[in-house]
Amino acid sequence: MKKALLAAATLLCAPLSAQAATDTGPMRFVMIPKAVHPWFDKANNGAQAAAALLSKATGRQITVEYRAPQTADVSTQNDIIERAIATHPDGLILDLLDEKGNRATMQEAVEEKIPMTVFDSLPPEGMNITAVGADFCEQGTLAAERLAKLIGNKGEVAIMMGVPTAPNHALRARCELKVFSKYPDIKVVATGIDNDSIETAQKQASAIMQAHPDLAGWVACDAAGPVGIGQAIRESGKVGKVKEVGLDNLNDMLQLIRDGVVDSSASSRPEMQGYWAVIAAWQKALGQQTPKNIDTGIDIITKKTLSK
Amino acid sequence: MSPETSPAPAPASGAQLPPPPSLADRIKTVAANPLCGVVVALVVIFVLSCLLSAHFLTAFNMKIIARSLAFVGLVTIGQAILMILGELDLSVGAIGGLSGVAGGLFMVQFGLDPWLSLVLCLALGTACGLLNGVLITQLRLHSLVLTIGMAGVYGGANLVLTKGVAITGIPGAISFLGRGMMFGLPVPFVILLVCLAIVSFVMLRTPLGRYVYAIGSNKAAARMLGIRVDAIRICAFASAGFLSALAGIVMVARLGTAQPSIGDTWVLAPIAAAVIGGVATTGGLGSPFGAVLGAVIIGIIENVIVLFGISPYWQSIVSGGIVVAAISFDSVARRYFNREA
Repeated sequence: MKKALLAAATLLCAPLSAQAATDTGPMRFVMIPKAVHPWFDKANNGAQAAAALLSKATGRQITVEYRAPQTADVSTQNDIIERAIATHPDGLILDLLDEKGNRATMQEAVEEKIPMTVFDSLPPEGMNITAVGADFCEQGTLAAERLAKLIGNKGEVAIMMGVPTAPNHALRARCELKVFSKYPDIKVVATGIDNDSIETAQKQASAIMQAHPDLAGWVACDAAGPVGIGQAIRESGKVGKVKEVGLDNLNDMLQLIRDGVVDSSASSRPEMQGYWAVIAAWQKALGQQTPKNIDTGIDIITKKTLSK
Repeated sequence: MSPETSPAPAPASGAQLPPPPSLADRIKTVAANPLCGVVVALVVIFVLSCLLSAHFLTAFNMKIIARSLAFVGLVTIGQAILMILGELDLSVGAIGGLSGVAGGLFMVQFGLDPWLSLVLCLALGTACGLLNGVLITQLRLHSLVLTIGMAGVYGGANLVLTKGVAITGIPGAISFLGRGMMFGLPVPFVILLVCLAIVSFVMLRTPLGRYVYAIGSNKAAARMLGIRVDAIRICAFASAGFLSALAGIVMVARLGTAQPSIGDTWVLAPIAAAVIGGVATTGGLGSPFGAVLGAVIIGIIENVIVLFGISPYWQSIVSGGIVVAAISFDSVARRYFNREA
């Protein structure tokens, strides 16, 4: 994949070579995710890889500064965005917590003529901003459909809702519920809230499995939830009896799939999102047109795909 | 700014005037002021920030520091009043969040006039604070324990009302409160200054303020003096609730949506700010002005952490370290002055 990305970036560089040759000063981008979280660290890895590759390809020093809020709170994120605007970077790469709540602050960036790119989220309506990411609804739908198939389209299932205030978690939950409602023999008997904490997810999942001994399967709406659920399944000795289809590709998640505790995971591609967000931001900074959406797709990770 | 700094009584008629104080005496007098330390720290941090970051001393950056200070600053004033009284309220953030989303509901779902909604939202915050005060005084509960529980109640009510989803479509009529400028300053900051002026006047120039300090110094003695201790404690909790609600609704005006997460970060920072600003955790000492200066220090540190590009994984260590340093300094300084006395 790296080779393909390198080739793509080289192609992107080609039409800009004249401009790049005349302007060789350093370029600085600031990346602000939703919060401190391993998923965003992976996105940052992709962003740093893109910066390194662009530096090599263009001969300009291109850096990405990663500034994550300590908590997933819109006002905290707005504060960090404003402080980043104060440093006048060449571009902002944002994972918005709430496009409406972030709008006023993003307007300040527009007034300061700082181009923006968003990843893993949608930009506010009416703003000409490239969005890099996967379809959250599709991700939830794929996970729920796979679980339905695993349990033979019947039985009791539960959903771990993630952070109830996070729009992407809420959207995945809605789409998962929509899938299950298509199957008359599948009943959603419980929903938990883990607030994107593995420990909370484990406690909630253990309690729900105690209350519903016939539970057949789990899906989740965030990255931490499915890890906690997997640990609870293992602790309660229900490996194989209770099926789980997780989300995303945290290391713990991958290990649970390797161990056979979790069947699979519908995973977005954080490294790729970070990578393409930097590419788009860089092009925007050079005054190039960028696409409205860059869909980085969803992987279904299974024990088989991991062994390849 | 605290009562112990009030002017000395005039000498009796015919008595010999004392010699004018020397420069050393004047310096000692200034250094003895409880606010001296925090002002010196603020100046040092400000100058260092100016020297180390070219982006710090810009009009845009000063504007964002002032505006973000306003929200924590309002909650800090309320918390400082309670701490001077010897109490603590850990539900102020939850009250701010609940009041903010309630204001959003009044405006969007019930279609009420935005300004009426604002008044109702402030009334709700005051009522929450009042309830805290009544439960603490009437059931003889420790404020720390009670307000931990009430934070859960108010936070839960917030989730019940919103189902965790932000309320959008806030009328533009109140956006001025959060986004506007007045006299070249962000409106939230102007609101903070007005509230600080009013509270400082009440605390330092009225009997009610003196009673608060008296209760904080020695509750039993204050009761023996005939001060209505419980009524004043209830009043203080209601004031903290009002100020939290004000911060909540101004934040709603700022964001243009009523986020259920409003107030989540308003618990630790105001306490830290008050302690840094010279408010004793045991009560009876300090001032709301000092507490807001403490909030300014925290605000500047949070600002420069981002300007310098410090790793997010180090940010908690830095801010937590400042809190521990401030509390330790408070404790050591009080032990030193007690020994001197």
